[in-house]
Amino acid sequence: MVLPRRYSGSRFTLAILVLASATLISLDARGYEPVTNLKKAGIVIVQPFRSLARVVFDPVGDAWESLSNGDELERENALLRSQLDQLLEYRIANEGAVNDLAALRAQLDLLGLGGQETAVAEVTAGSVSNFDPYILEINKGTQSGIREGMPVISTGGLIGRIENPGLRDARVRLITDPGVNIGVLAIGTKEIGILSGNGVGQPLKVTDGIPISAPVEVGSILVTSGLDRSPYPEGFAVGSVVEVIPNEVNLEKELLVEPTGQMKNLDFVTVVLYEPPGRG
Amino acid sequence: MAAVSVIKNAIAIIFLLILQLELFSSLRFFGVMPELVLAGAIAAGWYGGPVGGAVVGFTGGLFYDMYLATPLGLNALTYALIGYLLGQIANFLSEDAELIIRLIISVAAVSVGLLMFVTFGELLVQPNLYNKRFGKVLVISSLYTGLLMMPIHFLMAWAFNAHRLLLPSSLGRIR
Repeated sequence: MVLPRRYSGSRFTLAILVLASATLISLDARGYEPVTNLKKAGIVIVQPFRSLARVVFDPVGDAWESLSNGDELERENALLRSQLDQLLEYRIANEGAVNDLAALRAQLDLLGLGGQETAVAEVTAGSVSNFDPYILEINKGTQSGIREGMPVISTGGLIGRIENPGLRDARVRLITDPGVNIGVLAIGTKEIGILSGNGVGQPLKVTDGIPISAPVEVGSILVTSGLDRSPYPEGFAVGSVVEVIPNEVNLEKELLVEPTGQMKNLDFVTVVLYEPPGRG
Repeated sequence: MAAVSVIKNAIAIIFLLILQLELFSSLRFFGVMPELVLAGAIAAGWYGGPVGGAVVGFTGGLFYDMYLATPLGLNALTYALIGYLLGQIANFLSEDAELIIRLIISVAAVSVGLLMFVTFGELLVQPNLYNKRFGKVLVISSLYTGLLMMPIHFLMAWAFNAHRLLLPSSLGRIR
């Protein structure tokens, strides 16, 4: 059958575009560097328009957020006020200890957080897709010493790791992503498990590594283990256990864990400029 | 496509992309945002035919891909196919078809686009695109995008120099 010229022409165009897409997908999935550079070049082209649009649209987004999250903000405010009162009392009681600690840190020449250098970055955007809600964008990149995989923390603890850093920006992959796994240690024990993300608004999960007899209970704090070429240094708070589900079959405990790091309404985050031994 | 039309289409794609990235990523309903670039590809299919729809879809999808963790080309592939499909449907649809019919087809095309994106993603490379949120995303995003479809039709009609078809006398018929 001879196709009308119009249809055969459009099918040829479509075939070329499909082929180009499939090639790009294949190359990008293999981490082919020119494709990564193409991505970065595209981002640079659009960046001036984004910056301009941000000035116009940010107030609209903020207004929408305050409208849609009004009740939550009130609850958060009340909680923060009570926490502030507690902290003030605690501070008065421990002022001497704080001074001692500061002197000790200076003596040991500890820089930044846990002896690691850090970079504070502004959160410029949240996720821009319906299918990947586990991303934040920040305004610092390789120019500030940020590298792939570096841990990112906010008030309270670890919230994610750096992904695909550009020169002056980077993405943060949040620990709520089901694809993220972190080696964690339960404080006060020697039990190490693998913690995984479990989706937006869901507690994190530890499904492997905690024996049923281990003294890990509701309220236990989990920190990064820092073992075995872990991309995270040891000792960063990750979450607190909110539920323990014993598994009688494999004699392990499954833990549901509430992240300790603040992940909502973030303006700034801290990137720990840590590279695991052997990588840097 | 004439040079002027190419420039207009580039402006339209960047405009939709910026709106998607900077405005509607914050204006979410139940955590779901509209798919403006996909809607642009669909409207481009109506006014630019299969070739126009496929090229605008591919370009818009490619730029959108640059901001996502999914592999480069996944949105480009989906949007090119959807733009082409809508172009073919527009060719076969009567020019007298009511605007509401065209809008309903456009909203259905958004759903098909989302389904295709997830299917291609799961089949080709990216696991975990199909998850328990998908049903919610499919329904809310399609309806939300549908609410914004009318101005996007106007934008793409302008980009393809088809705005004469949007005069008040033919408002009920777009073309």
